[in-house]
Amino acid sequence: MNPSLELEQFVDRVMVELERKFGSDTLTDDPKSESVSMEVKGAVSANASTLTTIKVPKPKWQEGLAELIESTPARIGVWRTGTRPLTKEMLKFRCDHAAAIDSIYGEVNEQILSRFDLFTVETRYGNTENYLKRPDMGRIVTAAGEELIRVKCRSHPQVQVVVSDGLSANAIDANLPDVYPSLLDSLEAYGLRAGTPFFVRGGRVAVMDHIGELLEPDVLVLLIGERPGLVSSRSMSAYLCYRPRKGTVESDRTVISNIHPGGTPPVEAGAYIGTLVHKMLEQKTSGIHLDL
Amino acid sequence: MAARIGYPVWLGMGDAKMDGSWITSAGIDIGTSTTKLIVSRLKLVRTSSALSLPRYEIAERELMYASPIHATPLTGADQIDADRVWAIVSGELDKAEVGKGDLKSGAVIITGETATKTNARAIVHRLADRAGDFVVAAAGADLEAYLAGKGAGADRRSLRIRGAVVNIDIGGGTANAAIFRRGKLIGTITFHIGGRLIQLDETGMIRYVAPSIRTWLGANGYRIEAGIVVAFSMIKDICYALSREMLRYFIGGNVALTDWHRNNNGLIAGQSLEQVPEIEEWMVSGGIGKLIQERAAPANLAEMAIHHDIGPLLASALRDCMQASSLRVVDADETVRATVIGAGMQSMEIGGATVHLDPKLLPIRNLPVLKLELSAANEGREEVVRLEAVRLEAELEDTLRTAFNLFDPEAVPPFALAITGTRTMNYAFLQHLADRLESRFTHYFPRSGIMVVVCERDIAQALGQALQRRCEKRLKVICIDQIRVEHGDYIDLGEPVSGMMIPVVVKTLAFPNGAR
Amino acid sequence: MNLTTTVLGQTYQLKSMKEVLAKANEEKSGDQLAGIAAEDAKERMAAKLILSDLTLADIRNNPLLPPEKDEVSRVIENAINEKIYGEIRNWSVAELREYVLRQDTGNDQIRRISKGLTSEMVAACTKLMSNLDLVQAAAKVEVVTHCNISIGQRGVLSGRAQPNHPTDNIQGIKASLFEALSYGIGDAVIGINPVIDSADSVKSILLATKEVMEKWSIPTQNCVLAHIKTQMKAIRQGAPADMVFQSLAGTEDGNRAFGIDVALLDEADELIAREGTGTGPNLWYFETGQGSELSAEAHYGIDQVTLEARCYGLARKYKPFIVNTVVGFIGPEYLYDSKQVIRAGLEDHFMGKMQQIPMGVDVCYTNHMKADQNDMDNLAVLLAAAGVNYIIGAPMADDCMLNYQSTSYHDIATLRETMRLRPAPEFERWLNRMGLMDNGRLTPLAGDPTLFM
Repeated sequence: MNPSLELEQFVDRVMVELERKFGSDTLTDDPKSESVSMEVKGAVSANASTLTTIKVPKPKWQEGLAELIESTPARIGVWRTGTRPLTKEMLKFRCDHAAAIDSIYGEVNEQILSRFDLFTVETRYGNTENYLKRPDMGRIVTAAGEELIRVKCRSHPQVQVVVSDGLSANAIDANLPDVYPSLLDSLEAYGLRAGTPFFVRGGRVAVMDHIGELLEPDVLVLLIGERPGLVSSRSMSAYLCYRPRKGTVESDRTVISNIHPGGTPPVEAGAYIGTLVHKMLEQKTSGIHLDL
Repeated sequence: MAARIGYPVWLGMGDAKMDGSWITSAGIDIGTSTTKLIVSRLKLVRTSSALSLPRYEIAERELMYASPIHATPLTGADQIDADRVWAIVSGELDKAEVGKGDLKSGAVIITGETATKTNARAIVHRLADRAGDFVVAAAGADLEAYLAGKGAGADRRSLRIRGAVVNIDIGGGTANAAIFRRGKLIGTITFHIGGRLIQLDETGMIRYVAPSIRTWLGANGYRIEAGIVVAFSMIKDICYALSREMLRYFIGGNVALTDWHRNNNGLIAGQSLEQVPEIEEWMVSGGIGKLIQERAAPANLAEMAIHHDIGPLLASALRDCMQASSLRVVDADETVRATVIGAGMQSMEIGGATVHLDPKLLPIRNLPVLKLELSAANEGREEVVRLEAVRLEAELEDTLRTAFNLFDPEAVPPFALAITGTRTMNYAFLQHLADRLESRFTHYFPRSGIMVVVCERDIAQALGQALQRRCEKRLKVICIDQIRVEHGDYIDLGEPVSGMMIPVVVKTLAFPNGAR
Repeated sequence: MNLTTTVLGQTYQLKSMKEVLAKANEEKSGDQLAGIAAEDAKERMAAKLILSDLTLADIRNNPLLPPEKDEVSRVIENAINEKIYGEIRNWSVAELREYVLRQDTGNDQIRRISKGLTSEMVAACTKLMSNLDLVQAAAKVEVVTHCNISIGQRGVLSGRAQPNHPTDNIQGIKASLFEALSYGIGDAVIGINPVIDSADSVKSILLATKEVMEKWSIPTQNCVLAHIKTQMKAIRQGAPADMVFQSLAGTEDGNRAFGIDVALLDEADELIAREGTGTGPNLWYFETGQGSELSAEAHYGIDQVTLEARCYGLARKYKPFIVNTVVGFIGPEYLYDSKQVIRAGLEDHFMGKMQQIPMGVDVCYTNHMKADQNDMDNLAVLLAAAGVNYIIGAPMADDCMLNYQSTSYHDIATLRETMRLRPAPEFERWLNRMGLMDNGRLTPLAGDPTLFM
């Protein structure tokens, strides 16, 4: 029990509640009283009110169909012409695919990089085709980049934040302005000091290991664009690793994925990444060994 | 990018970390005639992947112990003897082998006519030494109906069929009905119908007729009062008429409702439903539910009056009428213990696991809720943005002034601010909100050391840290999320379970009053 | 063993069996990434020419990964019938190809020689075959298996209902499943990839799918594609699983990266036979895919086609009910574009069937691959012609949990109608009873998921 909340105060509070209850006939008229108490509501969906257009011409249960469609982001209740999808539905699918393709070949907005004081280095990826075929080249920073990092960055930082376009430049444009400052606030709240941040063009996750060798941070946070999906082409991941070095295995990294406004909420993700960093420094480990 | 996003091979190799943990919860129902207790185990499991923000839910609810039904010790007509009630409860907790500190959640529900202020005060005082273990609520008929419906399984049942399911919990004095459709409560209603409204002995000598039923009896031509002797057939007529009329309320259709009210003046306690939804199934819990499931119809006064009341006859009459109706009859999962099980096993939920708080401040019980709804912002030119800022300022000012008028400004914390709505919560807005909220809260509640914020969406840690930055050491911020609450609700925040899982009980006083 | 040849005036001298097999592959970005692919088209042809003259005995006598060093090799080696091997040991790989394609070589003949073939021999043969060769040869093989019902009969195209949900929401999973069933999909399996790899979650999904199966008397089988250890835990806690699932790799080290080994598979095999809800005798579901060994750095310089064939050699030990390659899931660094994905799909299907595996294919791609839905349409038609046992059904081909695109409920229904294929017989009888299918065609009722509410 909260020590500052004395029993009498507690009793009074219960009594106030009861008072309201006994004199509460008017409450039941409250038009806003639709929500129901004591029920596990699960994840609260942001826009459950979105009306779904019903395409199945004569469903056995109209109301039930709306319930089904609302229960999943999957493309169901879409109906058919013969055995093929309806035209609009097929085109919608193709539009989503087009958005995904375009984000792979996009570039991060320079204004965003300069807004957060991120200088740019490149990996040896060369071009997008090579980037896709040769993930190994996206794991190594060019010699010029190495030099720039050495000159500009504070060595041995407690926390090193790195941003990379990865497979979706859009993801950085869309989410960095929410994730990054929220992460900095969180680090500050834990009393942690971040090193000099920068941007890596053409990076893969394991570029963390090369940067780890160069700067020897205690924890490295990589914010990187994910492989675009049809639901979102602007989804970002955060990879965290305690003392990443050459030969670090995947299971040593902690991942928060699907960061975008319709998935893992960006601002909250930023705050939570700070908590993860804090735990990694406390436990001196990361990945599957980290106790959450 | 990992080569196999979606199939990260290092994850979940039978990982024990993803397995759930159990917590113990108790439910205590102190009613007009009986007191009972149950102890249950709730299994908390992670319901988000290892790649997402942590999120937990209650996956299983298991009944561990159910006490016998005790007669409620009273000192007057409906004055609870708190000391003796507490002796029963402590004894049962010992029998259930629940030690002090084992309980992570619990609810004491005071029901029926004993749900008075004096009784509640006495009970709350009596459980001082275990106050941290329990949520106390005096249930009105609507909450009782809802809890009984959950305990009886009507909510779960309604998910398996299309139409609505009504559970009628019938005890000695009232029949509390809760209607569920697709898992959601859509209405509650209470009738003055119960097994002990008329009390009599084996000879047909009436001992008591409850005042609540007298109007209806008179209006329907039943002349009956204490001291007279009646025939079995007359009691039977009354029980059938009561059963028939109650069921007719649900299936007569809305057109016939006015008619129904004319003929049954006084049978409904409180408010009628605005509209009766289409009902597909019914079930009965409570003492009458148990009799329906377990006893044959009494053939004469002696068989009926074993407890000196009309209970057995009312049960068989109701069973007959239900079976003759067009609706499907299903057995309730629980009968006499439906309410206590609903209270003990179904009342808790788990908030989001990314939060901002100091565990030392918990638990906090019976905190009133005030809601701030942030609707989607208009976006556009500079003056639109400025107007939006003015609007937010006004809304916050309004909400906090209301809080100041409603709640004790000296209380620590005075209330919980619930933030809901469709407003996009980006970083910039969150900073602005934290700024204004801190300013207004400090203005109205300068001496309150704790601010509690409950968000609907998953933003608690970010908002909490933004607030704490501004409050520094003057004010401690508790910010939790993924809990939906309404004006007039009361919430209880339990102690964190294994880290950051906060058990939350939301007590709603406002119930839906019509079909939707 | 001759490893020298001349192509267009240039002489090539290859050093090892491993090199020959790798360079004889059709172009794959994964072999290039591993640094083992042919330098150019000419070198590729040199390797194919050398390979065509090598004998099956050469392949067996020059193991790529010796049985004493690798348990997958041991499983493959132990399964050889020496009598039958003796009959064909002196065949060249070219002769093996020609035998398989002869008009008088049918299902029975292929089944017989399969007992004398190692996975490496099957892979070698594949490297000499064109796409149409792969279609025709595979179409000869009929592999019928039985869990709760039989599938794989000639003329049958089954579908896996894959009603995944991004948060494992049971209602959401059911919603997609109802949609699948309403299009006649789900005879291969109702199989869900869970987001949460815990016994609780696996159990609740198994219970929910079983409940739907029982409520509507659906003749099929359920499976949740969690890690095998998680499934075992769930089954021991009483979860109703008709089958167990596991992803396989073609080397012992690759499997270790998946957290499994043969001993664990044996244990699971015993468990599902004893405590599973499926009738059997076939109680396993395996998934594979070219490139997984390289991604786990467990490939020993062996090419991805050969490693894939070895997965089937391992799978055969457990008499699976269904196996599918997730052909385009792994990414462009292994299969760059639609041409490579289509080739790999046909190779995997043929290599599986040659080893008597009840082979299905997840005809799929990710968004960073140079491929689109039209390519999937093409591959699905080719595989239907090749007699694939089943393909995947995802709502509108879009898996909202795994974030990739496969084939849709509509696609399977379309392939059945255009290629004159049917659902599994018992499942079709059920569809008829439900009024969803008549004479092998969907009725006007089909496509309404609320039929199952």
